[in-house]
Amino acid sequence: MSKVDEFRDKFKDVISQEIEKKGRYYFNITNENLRTIARYLFEEMGCRLSTATGTEMEDHLQIIYHFSHDKTGQYFCPRVVIKDKDNPQVDSIVPIVMGAKWIERELFDFWGIKFKDHPDMRRLLALNHPAKLDKPMRYKEEQYDQE
Amino acid sequence: MTKNRIPLGPFHPLLEEAEYFELQIEGETVVDLDMEIGWMHRGHEYISEQKNFTQSIYLVERICGICSTSHPIACVRAIEDIDNLEIPIRAKYIRSLVGELERIHSHLLWLGLAGHFIGYDTVWMWAWKYRETVLEMMEIISGNRNHYGMMRVGGVGKDVKPKDIPDLLDKLDMIDEKMEMIAKVANDDPVLKARLKGVGVLSHEQAINYCATGPTSRASGVPGDVRRDDPHDAYGMLDFDVITAENGDVYDKLVVRVLEILESSKIIRQCLDKLSEVEGPILNNVEEISPGEGIGRYEAPRGEVFHYIRSDGSNRPVRHKVRAPSYVNIPTYEASCKGISVSDALITLASVDPCYCCTERSLKIRSDSEEKPDLLELSKQKTERIRREYNGN
Repeated sequence: MSKVDEFRDKFKDVISQEIEKKGRYYFNITNENLRTIARYLFEEMGCRLSTATGTEMEDHLQIIYHFSHDKTGQYFCPRVVIKDKDNPQVDSIVPIVMGAKWIERELFDFWGIKFKDHPDMRRLLALNHPAKLDKPMRYKEEQYDQE
Repeated sequence: MTKNRIPLGPFHPLLEEAEYFELQIEGETVVDLDMEIGWMHRGHEYISEQKNFTQSIYLVERICGICSTSHPIACVRAIEDIDNLEIPIRAKYIRSLVGELERIHSHLLWLGLAGHFIGYDTVWMWAWKYRETVLEMMEIISGNRNHYGMMRVGGVGKDVKPKDIPDLLDKLDMIDEKMEMIAKVANDDPVLKARLKGVGVLSHEQAINYCATGPTSRASGVPGDVRRDDPHDAYGMLDFDVITAENGDVYDKLVVRVLEILESSKIIRQCLDKLSEVEGPILNNVEEISPGEGIGRYEAPRGEVFHYIRSDGSNRPVRHKVRAPSYVNIPTYEASCKGISVSDALITLASVDPCYCCTERSLKIRSDSEEKPDLLELSKQKTERIRREYNGN
């Protein structure tokens, strides 16, 4: 049984909208299950967190975590959809994966997503921006253009 | 005891990241470290989303002057991953060939600077002299010493001419010979061992927890290597070893890099052998990219380069995420710098191969009453002390 099948069997109740390609496995989860899944992928399966990608869609924000299972070269990519674009909030996975510290700070910086229980929730890339930005760097950029 | 603070940085204009370190020292020992980045506002991801796929490849090539083929390989692999595109076999060997030549020149650059930081200036001059040969090989293959412009979606842009292969092999022989000498020096020199062993240790657990990649994690016994774990291009068809070490100190990082140069040379030989046998096209015609998302990664000299591209079916990416290896390796300083002496700080910060201009810009340490020498000087003095002990004077 492949690692993906094993994973799917275990979490079939909490994952949805799966996309499976060669070496890549994307699936949606909710914020409530994020820590359970991150803990399983990182601690049980021994995956490494490559990074996380934030994307702004028309009606929501989404974060895709890229967990790499280095023994098989398989990527597990849980996707968390955030409907509330004005006050986006997600649980931090830093208590589980220390390496997520800067990754989450960058998401906060770019899209204004606040991570609950993050030990150091400051901006990262725009921390020393000369303009002292008071808005996320990329969030709602269309509206900014119209203004 | 009073705590002093030493600011390092922040400006170093060569890399994508400007870094600022503030070392808190008690006497000679570093007790805490604060890091900040964010002086560079290059907006590569945003600019890439305004360009078409072909232009994006040239753009990401300019993210880093040293990894200038690792980013394009990861980028074209991400685009190819959307449609699971295959590339011609000859293109596979050329991609791996260029990638490995880049690894040699990057490791030699690091080796030279690491030598300089601990007062081995001869190593610095020699390593950079041999690096010139690698750049000449690049010029023979691509026409450029840097920013090779080789990668295309569906293959590579330039072919390796059969008449150049003997010349490339001659140059590679020279590099092999010199690298064996340097590996021997690293193995035999008691001063180098005394200076670097046990300095800036990143433990196995810390390397896993910080999600470090590349030589930084392999020196701590984490055997991750994208070339072997997620075989792509020619790597699945080549014979090579993944070099690991156990202790996670600066000495092990040095050994891993020197041995990796020899492995890269082994890979290049196999690629050149195959290129003189295999014939065929080097580029497939790719007319359009379907809507979807793709992940591309490549084992750059410093670790895993990661690109994520989302396409909406048009000719440009709607989201392009880039993660360079230094981004996950730099936070490991939190673990490796605590408890070390201030004269070891420079080489520990340099050991993950971040940008070097910042370290050269380190400010002078001043106390209230007297002026002290700078970090580079402290580091060289420590090597000199050890050398004198060994020579008995």
